[in-house]
Amino acid sequence: MKFKHSLFTRRQFLNGLLGGWLGALLASLVYPIVKFVFPPYHEPEEIILPFSDYKDMPGNSVKNFPWGSKLGLLKKNDDGTYTAFVGVCTHLDCNVIYLPEQRKFFCACHDGWYDETGVNIGGPPPKPLRKLSVSIEGENLAVRRPGLEKE
Amino acid sequence: MGISTWFEERAGFSGVTKFMTQKKVPLHKHSVWYYTGSAILLFFTIQVITGFLLVFYYKPTLEKANESVAHIMTEVPLGWIIRSVHSWAASFMIALVFIHMLSIWITKSYRRPRELTWMSGVGLLLISLFFGFTGYLLPWDALSFSATKVGTDIPHAVPVVGIWVTKLLRGGEDVTGDTLTRFFGIHVCILPIFLFILLAVHVYLVQKQGMSLPLELEKKNQEVKEIPFWPNFIYREMIVWLLLVAILFTVAIFFPPSLDQPADLMAPAPEGIKPEWYFLFLFQMLKIFPSKILFLSGETVAVLLIILAGVLFFFLPLIDNKPEGNRGKVITAAAFIFIAFAVIMTIWSLL
Amino acid sequence: MRLIKFPGLSAVGILVFFFLSVCQPSICARQVVREETGAAQTEHEPEQIVPGPRDIKEKTAIYVFVGWVWLSVFVLIFFLKLKIRETDRLYQLKFFNSKRK
Repeated sequence: MKFKHSLFTRRQFLNGLLGGWLGALLASLVYPIVKFVFPPYHEPEEIILPFSDYKDMPGNSVKNFPWGSKLGLLKKNDDGTYTAFVGVCTHLDCNVIYLPEQRKFFCACHDGWYDETGVNIGGPPPKPLRKLSVSIEGENLAVRRPGLEKE
Repeated sequence: MGISTWFEERAGFSGVTKFMTQKKVPLHKHSVWYYTGSAILLFFTIQVITGFLLVFYYKPTLEKANESVAHIMTEVPLGWIIRSVHSWAASFMIALVFIHMLSIWITKSYRRPRELTWMSGVGLLLISLFFGFTGYLLPWDALSFSATKVGTDIPHAVPVVGIWVTKLLRGGEDVTGDTLTRFFGIHVCILPIFLFILLAVHVYLVQKQGMSLPLELEKKNQEVKEIPFWPNFIYREMIVWLLLVAILFTVAIFFPPSLDQPADLMAPAPEGIKPEWYFLFLFQMLKIFPSKILFLSGETVAVLLIILAGVLFFFLPLIDNKPEGNRGKVITAAAFIFIAFAVIMTIWSLL
Repeated sequence: MRLIKFPGLSAVGILVFFFLSVCQPSICARQVVREETGAAQTEHEPEQIVPGPRDIKEKTAIYVFVGWVWLSVFVLIFFLKLKIRETDRLYQLKFFNSKRK
């Protein structure tokens, strides 16, 4: 029975309280489950590689290295400097390959093309390849996320 | 209102809802045991949910099993809680299955026409125990490996056919990575299917025949106070569920199970090897039998006795077909003797 | 509710018994002994992995969560008891029967 001046009946109030608190309890149980199901992915901040493995690379060539669970591409340029990219196509995540004769990176999945500096020049990729910072430190080659260079 | 009529036109659930409101639950001295059935279902649901979550990260191979459980416990966010809840809820569920079974035995609820409900229930009990047995091996640590070696060797004691059961369980002569994979498949695929089938039969029979009354109330033939299943009894059940879930979480969070180092097929059995608590009384029985009885090994006699007891147990409603008579009284006493036996054997095995 | 009390307490007693038989001294002592020998080792090769909250922040979160669960349980049981009283009274008044008439 509902009084004219009431918003709801006593039964509705009790039902609302019961359902609401039960819902809150169940929701609080969902949060740990969601955390469990979506584990945090930590991209590496830096990768140290032995420089000896990459010292003798010819110019205009690319060698792979692991960047966490992704493909990393280390390119030795014509002038002897090194550039590092995350070798994952910015379109739909396929791994790309470097074609030295054409001086381009190619993604076989949907015919995506990037020039030798990683800029997207053809096909569906919307953005250039992600660059990583490279520095030679004694015997090591350090690859870091840009912005985290050591002084 | 619009949505329910849309479904009603197409699926017609009103028959089920009408049945639930019309179903009545009697209230009497022994009504408390009625709560055990849904409590088992509650814990089984928790097992399914936590099992789904664990299977996202668990790797069922010899090389990776222990490592993947360690990963769940240390690196996956809150993984140790999920595993702990799964482990504790298994024990809670099996404890409740035993309580449920004992309450049916003592109140003789299996008498006509509920014999099939009892038999499907015995099947469910065996499936639950087998769930526990197969699950125990999955972390592949030293203790569970040894316990599985012992457990899968027991059927071997049965002459002629026993060796084939052992080989079937182990996937070969010995407990190896093949056993692990087999146990995993049994635990997550084969047993759930059989459980759902038997559970459907069991629950259908309970609904069809209604809630049973204890023998003395049935004899008196007087009006017993009843309440509707929906919503009156359901609200009472929810209180029981809430308390059980709170106890489960508290215990799981403050007493999480640990993980031993990975099993080594060549290592000697670790000290203090024993199965899960619900197998301890059987384990102790096997320990106390002498190594030879007449021309048979002690183990064979013990296992055959257990199988005989199991068969009698399965056919209990047919054996106890005159519940009011003397045989009926003996069978009720047998339930209490079984409880005392199991408790004494369990305590003895821990000393 | 009275109906639940005594047999319910004995059922809880059975549960407590099995719980005590599970977490008995031999296992708990074993954990402690292993923990001591494993304490010096790194996380990647412990004798035995004993799980739990890793820092004070997680520990606090755990205690808050368990407290919240118990609080909710008591509050919900309070509401459920009111609902039980309501539906029992409605049933006694044959409220549902008269609706169908």
